[in-house]
Amino acid sequence: MKPMRGRAWVFRGVLDVDWEICVFDISHELQAKGMYTPEEIGKYCMTKVDPDFPKKVRKGDFIVGEFMGFGHDHDHACLSILGAGVAAVICDTSAPYFLRNSIERGLPVVEYSGILDAVKQGDELEVDLEKGRLTNFSSGVELQFEPMPAFIIRKLEAGGMVPLLKMEVDAGRIPKRLT
Amino acid sequence: MSKEKDATPIATWSLSKVKISQSQAKVDSGLRVGIRSVTHRISRMGKTITEKILAKAAGRKDVSPGDYIEVGSRCPTPMGNFGGLRGGVEFCVEWKVGVFNPKLIRIVDGHLGATASHNAARSRMGARKWAKAVGIPDENIYTLGRSGIENMFSAERAWALPGEVYLQAVNGHSSGSGALGAFATTLSYGRGEYFITGKTWMRVPRSIKIVVNGEFPPGTCARDLFEYFLSQIGPTGAGGAALEWTGPVVDALSMGERFSLCSLAIFTGAWTAIINPDEKTLDYVRARTNEAFEPQVSDPDAQYAKVFELDVGKLEPQVVPPPKRHLVKPIKELEGTPINRGFIGSDAASWIEHLRMAARILKGKKIHPGVVLNITPGTTRILRQALDEGLINTFVDAECVVPTPNEGMEWGANTPLSADEVCIASGQTNYPGRMGSEEAQIYLANPMTVAASCLEGKITDPRKYL
Repeated sequence: MKPMRGRAWVFRGVLDVDWEICVFDISHELQAKGMYTPEEIGKYCMTKVDPDFPKKVRKGDFIVGEFMGFGHDHDHACLSILGAGVAAVICDTSAPYFLRNSIERGLPVVEYSGILDAVKQGDELEVDLEKGRLTNFSSGVELQFEPMPAFIIRKLEAGGMVPLLKMEVDAGRIPKRLT
Repeated sequence: MSKEKDATPIATWSLSKVKISQSQAKVDSGLRVGIRSVTHRISRMGKTITEKILAKAAGRKDVSPGDYIEVGSRCPTPMGNFGGLRGGVEFCVEWKVGVFNPKLIRIVDGHLGATASHNAARSRMGARKWAKAVGIPDENIYTLGRSGIENMFSAERAWALPGEVYLQAVNGHSSGSGALGAFATTLSYGRGEYFITGKTWMRVPRSIKIVVNGEFPPGTCARDLFEYFLSQIGPTGAGGAALEWTGPVVDALSMGERFSLCSLAIFTGAWTAIINPDEKTLDYVRARTNEAFEPQVSDPDAQYAKVFELDVGKLEPQVVPPPKRHLVKPIKELEGTPINRGFIGSDAASWIEHLRMAARILKGKKIHPGVVLNITPGTTRILRQALDEGLINTFVDAECVVPTPNEGMEWGANTPLSADEVCIASGQTNYPGRMGSEEAQIYLANPMTVAASCLEGKITDPRKYL
């Protein structure tokens, strides 16, 4: 997986999947309208904290957060971040369900204790998940984190669980049990 | 995770007696002689119940926090009717791969109640059609009249067996089944992979042990213990961990209170919660299933990331004001706050114990005329028991709304809040819009506090009614 390069968007405090990251009810409304796509729900990403975030963020940028994904196991928050064009989340702490759901959705989440001391709003970053390396070009700081295991890299490269499963099905590695 | 983030001691916090020790558990291990006899062996390494269960499920000799493992489960996996057909599940039919074992998947239609929307009805039918297409037997489909909230419905049938990994399709409160001595967690968006392959990945969590001593004062219950613990540890204090609740207070709790205590783990940042099984657990399970099982318990020298010891002797009823879930206060700081809505329900507080707590305060009284109090039993079995015990009569006489089992006001499924309404609820969480309008406010409290507050139309200390 190639290193990712983008700008940092810093969010402090406790970020609840159902409120700060993306209002839960939006996901219900979009489903009822048949409009539950990454692009549509991406328009509501982080808007309770920064109403213009979806307009300002560029494809490939990073969210650098303090406590990401507090609360329920709702994965609409991960979809919203992806839909906004964010390439990865780097945070001090991630809620375990947020971390798992993000990986299954194809969104890398890196936990690094003290990240907010090393990254400022707008910093240019490069993140290499395989090597476990974060380079801050704006400050010259380089950080090492635990590299992601090969099976997670494979899932992320495929774009998440569903595309990877589809590849396995197409390759005949999963039995077709239904006729 | 060997590079432990929380290597520095947390400041000592106090109730009447609180002690924190690092890394090594030197306090009551939660083991009792009767339970030791059912463990298969005491590992020389010293492992927690979580590590033992996960090692067995992964087919390994042992595992440590931070290890990546692949596991399956022999326990049934309930799927709710709402939102279940996403997360890859929708492709089981389209790709003609079906599911790994139709007998192990159960559709529990209890998340949405009888009063929910047309959208809910479509969701219901979608789940039924999907189940038929992948060959799920009819007896695995629990329709609205014989179900309840999936976390509670499965717990009261002991689908999560002691010593096993238990996986739910959705709902982060599956940790409640940790009270059965299982490693209980939710597949969430990863459910499609599990349904198709029968396997899922996990990272072995660190364990945090909480030893609870003392005796609950009147007006408090397991809910206050959880909220007090949250107020001390904070929303990230248990990041990614398995909470292991132990000690004499936990031993004395009824099963419903244990489920309630474990069900809220995610609000401390934890992944799940667990209680070492004792005779009470084993009796509960044996009365509900014929499945064989092999309980596990933590070794006395197991390694914990943190150990908390606390005493509930001076615990007061706790209240969580809006809008932050983790900012908990003792009731005296919020007494007198006007409210016009109330809710007792959800997997956090709709076990029979919670209905009894409310009935004790409401018996022979009527709630304040300006207040609507929704009391929703969690499952049909609990509704039936509440009828037998006369609790429903008490609620109806007190002029409460008593819907059939479901998640109640949680996420606004039933009797949602409109702007400017102020609710006191024993539900799960309180972010703006959780129960309807973003303009409404939600205070969280135990069922006794909710009942007492609804009698007076303002936040009221329940101890005056006990």
